[in-house]
Amino acid sequence: MAVSDRMTTIDLFKAVQGSDIAIAFGNAPLVFGIAAQLFHISGIVLILTPTLLVALRIAGTGLVDYSAAQLERKSRVYVATGLLFVVFSGLFMLIPSATLYQPNPAFQLKLILLPVALAFHYGFLARIAKEEFSQKWLAKIIALFMALLWFAVGMAGRAIGFLAA
Amino acid sequence: MNLHDLFQAMYESRLGTALAESLYVYPLVEGIHLLSLAFSFGLIVLVDFRLLGIALPSLPVGEVLKQLRPWMIGGFTATFVTGILLMFALGPKLLATFIFPLKLLVILLAALNAIWFEWKFGRDQDYLTGRKDPVVSAKIAGAISLASWSTVVVLGRLIPYFDGSF
Repeated sequence: MAVSDRMTTIDLFKAVQGSDIAIAFGNAPLVFGIAAQLFHISGIVLILTPTLLVALRIAGTGLVDYSAAQLERKSRVYVATGLLFVVFSGLFMLIPSATLYQPNPAFQLKLILLPVALAFHYGFLARIAKEEFSQKWLAKIIALFMALLWFAVGMAGRAIGFLAA
Repeated sequence: MNLHDLFQAMYESRLGTALAESLYVYPLVEGIHLLSLAFSFGLIVLVDFRLLGIALPSLPVGEVLKQLRPWMIGGFTATFVTGILLMFALGPKLLATFIFPLKLLVILLAALNAIWFEWKFGRDQDYLTGRKDPVVSAKIAGAISLASWSTVVVLGRLIPYFDGSF
């Protein structure tokens, strides 16, 4: 396929924005937009709070009557629910205005930070939370870094509105 | 001085002007206001679920409070300080609709509920250590707290939708 025939990112976002579902979302009553925002915030809290509790426990504070591994196991369902909330509500907000989001540097940063945060979360959290993980100092650093990564995702998301204005 | 005058004075203060005109600080303050909910709202929901007997059932209420209180206080401090800074930056337009005054009222209700809970159960070692069966009035306090803080978050998110000037 020739280079000129390839779909660029902006073409993809234009196609998404022009789709029937995007038009339907865009024409939805305001209450759906408000509901999407509330689900997005709920999702953020559902991801951040349990992750922070695990990170605090790895750091030796917080809910010390539970082990970090126990908290990590308990946190899974909340984090997974939060991710579902943020992904679906995020798509609801993104799709009707996809071409506005695509060039936004805060959105681009969020698209980079989100998979990194997910990779750290699902790649490391369960491992560093285990009692057998002997390098406690490394676990604390990773836990702190992961919590900061999630906060950075949130801040990048919040910055989208300011940079688009 | 009525509430409108107070908000106008805050808006016209040096701090209000600096915040409103800042390219970076205002979004940062708003971002911290939102994300600090993970500590304030997120942890209070966990405590409320414990009072209701839904979460952490094996841990006595007193232990949950003792272990989470410093982080909750830190979270609420961040949320309130940034909230006050946002009041300086936005000024009297926050009062243009009933949403923000209602939010303040519900915060007051939640605070009174928390004070009542502390007064009633703060020194009740039988309840706090789990020696006494769960008390209905503590569950009601948990339900009121859960409902009021959830309402505060919802009202906070509604503010921009009810005032086109944001």
